[in-house]
Amino acid sequence: MSEILAKTEQIVKKGKGLGADEVVAQTTFGRYRQTRFSNNQIDISVAWNDYVTQVALTWKKRFVATQLRDFQNVDQGVKRLFQLAKVSKENPQWGGLAKGEFRYQKSKADKTVVNIRNPAEYVFEAIEAAHEEAGSRQTNTGGILFSKLEDVYLASSEGPVGKDQRSAIELSIRAFSDKEASGHGVECSSTLKGFDPSRAGQKAGEIAKQAKTPKPGVEGRYDVIFDPLFTGSLLGMWGFMASAYSIMVQMSVFVNKLGQKVASDTVTLRDVPASYSMANRVFDDEGAPAKENVIISKGILKTYLHNTSTAKIFKTETTGNAGLVVPSAWNLEIDAGDMDKEEMFSEVRRGLYLTNTWYTRFQNYATGDFSTIPRDGIFLIENGEITQSWKDIRLSDNALKMLNNIVGISKERQQVHWWNEADPPSLSPYVLMKDVQITRPK
Amino acid sequence: MDKDIADFTLKYAESKKVDYAEVRAHSTEYEELAMKNGVLDAYAQMIDSGFCVRILAKGGLGFASTNRWTKEEARDIVDIACKYATTAKRKDSITFAEEKSVKISWKVNEKKKILNVTPETRIETLTDLDKELTSQGINVASRILQFGTNITEKYFVNTEGSVISSYVPRINAYNFITVVENGKPEQAYRQFGYAGGWEALTEWKMNEQTIKEAKVLQRVIKESKSIKPGKMDLICGPEVTGIAAHESCGHPMEADRISGREMSQAGRSFIYPGGPFWLKTKIGSPAVTIVDDPTVKNSYGYYEYDDEGIKARRRYLYKRGIINEFLHNRETAAKMNTRSNGSSRAISYDREAIVRMANTFVEPGDMTEEELLEDIKEGVYMRSFTEWNIDDKRFNQRYVGREAYWIENGELKHPVARPVIETTTQIFWTAVDAVSKKVEYDAATCGKGDPMQGVPVYMGGPSIRLREVYVK
Repeated sequence: MSEILAKTEQIVKKGKGLGADEVVAQTTFGRYRQTRFSNNQIDISVAWNDYVTQVALTWKKRFVATQLRDFQNVDQGVKRLFQLAKVSKENPQWGGLAKGEFRYQKSKADKTVVNIRNPAEYVFEAIEAAHEEAGSRQTNTGGILFSKLEDVYLASSEGPVGKDQRSAIELSIRAFSDKEASGHGVECSSTLKGFDPSRAGQKAGEIAKQAKTPKPGVEGRYDVIFDPLFTGSLLGMWGFMASAYSIMVQMSVFVNKLGQKVASDTVTLRDVPASYSMANRVFDDEGAPAKENVIISKGILKTYLHNTSTAKIFKTETTGNAGLVVPSAWNLEIDAGDMDKEEMFSEVRRGLYLTNTWYTRFQNYATGDFSTIPRDGIFLIENGEITQSWKDIRLSDNALKMLNNIVGISKERQQVHWWNEADPPSLSPYVLMKDVQITRPK
Repeated sequence: MDKDIADFTLKYAESKKVDYAEVRAHSTEYEELAMKNGVLDAYAQMIDSGFCVRILAKGGLGFASTNRWTKEEARDIVDIACKYATTAKRKDSITFAEEKSVKISWKVNEKKKILNVTPETRIETLTDLDKELTSQGINVASRILQFGTNITEKYFVNTEGSVISSYVPRINAYNFITVVENGKPEQAYRQFGYAGGWEALTEWKMNEQTIKEAKVLQRVIKESKSIKPGKMDLICGPEVTGIAAHESCGHPMEADRISGREMSQAGRSFIYPGGPFWLKTKIGSPAVTIVDDPTVKNSYGYYEYDDEGIKARRRYLYKRGIINEFLHNRETAAKMNTRSNGSSRAISYDREAIVRMANTFVEPGDMTEEELLEDIKEGVYMRSFTEWNIDDKRFNQRYVGREAYWIENGELKHPVARPVIETTTQIFWTAVDAVSKKVEYDAATCGKGDPMQGVPVYMGGPSIRLREVYVK
C-alpha cells in the first residue's frame, strides 16, 4: 500500500517539476456496497470500486484540478493540468494550501464493513424488527444497507503526507403500516461492532404503528419536539451555513455574526470528524489535520468552517475542513442537554412531535426563510401525550429564528444519516423548539 | 473507453448462464469553471471512465462497476453482480418486459465543437458575465457563476444482442445572485443547459437573462407589496408551469415510485393500485396535457435510446386532464404488464439505470398571454419561483413567487412580494382553465436514486391560468 502513497507523491513531484507552485494529490481506493430493498424484498445489490487520484495545483495563484484514474496517463495528465494553469486566471484571494508536516491520528476504520458475507441477513433483520414492532407482517418496508471502505493517500508539496482509512455502514429503513402512515429508522456507524440493524427496524415500525389513520394537520404555531432524524436535517442546514464559502456568497444567516448570539444558550454545535462517525477522517483535502471545531458555543457563533484559503481571507487559521474550494462540515454534533425524552414530552401542552423531513428549500438563504416537509410520523401532543397522527403539513419558518427558539435538548443522542436529507452525518438529540410555524395546502 | 473489455465482460457474464446481462460503459470528458464574486476559484478538467454490469439471475438483480479497465476487474465485477443476483432470494422474481434488440450508433451534433473552444474563451464567458452584471448600477452583492461542458461517450451491449454507441456533448451553467438594496437581500438562481455544441451560448442569452434577473430582484426589493391572502386567479409563467409539471406530474408518474421501489428515499406516489388515482382517472382539467419527451432537439434531457437500449419517444403523462401513461423501464413495465417507454437513465457507469424524466412540459394551447390576462379582475401573475417543494407522494406542493405582479382588470400592476401557492396536485391542475401558445423551457438537474443521481432535464410549458386558487 505504501507503493500507492509513493505513486501519489510522484504525481506531486511531477507537478512541481513542471513549475507548479503548489501541488496536492489524493488517491482514493474505494469499495462501496449497497443493497436496496422495497416491498419487503431485495430489489438489487450493487458494488462499485473506484480507483481515483484527485490532483490540484496552483501556478501564480491560478488554481486548477483534475482527476487521474488508476494511475493511467499520469505524465500526460499532470502536464495537461499545468498547461491549463498557465492559461487560467489568477485568483487574487488564493491563500495557499496547508503547510507543515503533520502527525495524524491513527485511523480506526473497520475493514470488515465491505466484506459482510450475507448483507441480505442485515436487511431481513431490520425488516423483521419493523414487522414485529408494527405488529403486522403486512407492514411494507424499503430502504438500503450501505457500506464503504476507502483507502486514502495524500501528498502535498507543502508538507503534508498521510494515509487514512475510512469506513462506514448505514442501514436506513422506512416502514409503512398504511399508505399514508410510515416511520423511518436509521442505524449508522463506522464499524460493525455494535451495529444493530434491528434498532432501525424497531424505530421505523414503532413510528409506523403510531402513525396509523392520520388526519390532515392544522395550521398554526406550535411547540415542536424534533426526533434525532429530523434534527439531523436541521444540523445539516446550519452546518452548510457555517461554511466560509456560504458566508462569502450569502447563502447563510451567519454573515457578519461571528461573536454574536445566533442561538439560544442551550445550543453548542460542533463539527467532529470522530472515529465513531460515518464521516470519520484524520485529514482534510489539503492534508490539514481534521479536528473538532466548536461552531456555536452556548448560543454564540465562534467560527466559520475554513480551508487554508478561506481562512486567510477571514484572517484566521484553517479549521481542517477543506474542500479545496468549498470548506464543509464533516460530522455535526449538538451537545447533549439535560432533559429526558419523557420530560421533554411532558413539557408540551399542545405541540407536535415531528420524526423526519425532506425537501428543504429556501426563499432566501441570507434571511433564512425556508420550508421543509415533515414526513413519516407527525404527531399531535396534548398535555405531554401523543393524541393524534397527522399528515399533509409543512414547516415554514426561519433558520435563524429556529436556532434561537430551541428550549430543550435531550441527554440521549443518536448518530443519524439518511440519503441527502440528513447529511452530513450527525450526532443528534431530541430537540424541543417553541413557536414553530406550520402551514398546509389549501 | 475500451469496447473490447466491455464485450469481454458481457461474454464472461453469458458464460455464467444468467437470464440476462448488460454492460454499459461511459467515458465523460468534463471541463468545469467556478467563479465567486468575480474571482475564478477553480478550473477543472477531467475524464471519468468506467463500466458496469447488471445481471438478472434466479429472479434477482445484481450490479457492479469499476473504473479499472482490465479483464481481471471485469471478471471480478461479473462475479460480484452474479452473486448478488442469485442470493437475493426474492419471493417474486424480477423480470424485464420483452423488447427488440437494437444495433445502432447515435450522436448529438455540434454546430460549434466544444472541444475546439479554448480555456481562455471559457473563462471569458464567466468574466464577461460578471463584468456586465456588476456594471448595471445594481448592488449584486454576491455572485456564484459556474459553467461546464461534458462530452459523454457510451457503449451498451446486452445478452439479447443490442449494441448501442452514443456521443452526447452537453453545456451547462448555473448562476446564483444576491441583490441588496436598502440593506434588504433578495436572491435568485438560474440554470442553463443544452445538448449540442458551443452554439448554446448564443441561444441562451445568458448575460441578458442574468442581468434581467438582477433588475427584477432590485424592483422586488424596492416596489413589491404583499397581497391579502385569499382565493384569486393566478397565472403561472412557463418557469412555474414547468416546475409544477415536473414535480406534480412527472415524478408521481414514475412507475418505480408507484410500485414502491423508491419508498424510503424519493418516496411513493399519490397514484397506487387500488387508490383513488390510476390510469384513466381524472387529475386535472381538460386544458391540461403534460408530456415527457426525450426527443426534443438540443434539449438538456435529450437522448435517442435510454440506458436499457430502448428507443426514446414522447410520453403523454396527463392527457386532457386524465392520467394516461406512466414512465417505465423494463422492470416496472414487466410488473405492470406493459412495455418500456424508454425512461431508464443512469448518470454514470457506476450507477444503476432507474426510471427518470427527460423533458417534462405542458403542451401549448391557443391563447395569447394577453388573452389569459384580459378577463382577470384581481389576481397574481407568478412569472418565476424561489422556494418550492412537494411531499413525497407528490400531492402537497408549494411555490413561492420570485418575479410576480398584481393583476388588476387584465393589466399587470406592481410587483408582489413572495406570493405563495400551497396546494394539492389535484386542485392545481383542476384549476387550470386556459393555456397560452408559447412553450418555454428551463434546464434543471433532477434528483433521485440512492446514491443520488442528478440527471439533466428540461421543464417547461406555456403560461397557464388557474381560477380561484388560494394565494397568500
